[in-house]
Amino acid sequence: MIRSDLIRGHLDSIILRLIFEQDRYGYEISKEISLRTDNRFQIKEATLYAVFQRLEKKELIESYMGSVSQGGKRKYYRITTLGKAYLREMIEEWKETKEVIDLFMEGLQ
Amino acid sequence: MKKLKNHVDELFKGVPDSEQKKAIKQEVLENLEEKVLDLIDQGKEEEDAINKAIVDFGDIDDIKKELGVKQPVKKNMSKLNLGFSIWGSILIIALFIFINFAYTPKTIWFVYPTFAVLWWPLAMYFNWQRSK
Repeated sequence: MIRSDLIRGHLDSIILRLIFEQDRYGYEISKEISLRTDNRFQIKEATLYAVFQRLEKKELIESYMGSVSQGGKRKYYRITTLGKAYLREMIEEWKETKEVIDLFMEGLQ
Repeated sequence: MKKLKNHVDELFKGVPDSEQKKAIKQEVLENLEEKVLDLIDQGKEEEDAINKAIVDFGDIDDIKKELGVKQPVKKNMSKLNLGFSIWGSILIIALFIFINFAYTPKTIWFVYPTFAVLWWPLAMYFNWQRSK
């Protein structure tokens, strides 16, 4: 299990990415994260909802109530245009960060 | 499932009521219920499933921060304290001077208690400096 404080600063990007792919609701996202990381990283739900709040306040995502046919009246999130732009920026930034960190983390046994 | 609702109520107890709070609580509860059902599907007992969901949920502090629950800010009183100490010591010293000259004008003794009293605003002054 990866230390969550290392990932913390990138949670916004991770969640934005998942919502970018398709509209999703809370539990679906936490499930998806566990699934894709093969349980190496599990997001605490409390953190997840805090991120939703933050992203919604920054107008990077917006929520709507799903119809009953989708199973209950779940709250879904969709990414906004601003959110997509933000995500692209984050990805660029991450690439650069990764290169810089790798300069120091790679090559040692 | 009652236990789940109680737990969510408990979690959000410190958050002042608002539409937003109601909405989040609703959302959290629904998602938790779904998780519990999922866990039961995977073969857990209901009791275990609920406990696991609750433990996995984690700490609510982040949400509180996003909801704008302000940690109580301690008001900085040091300036007020300094002002009070200055006014207080002026009054006390004036009293000493008055008694000195009204009753024993031949011996000047008011200087000694004045020095003692001045420690008060001095201490408050540095206290104020430190808090700046």
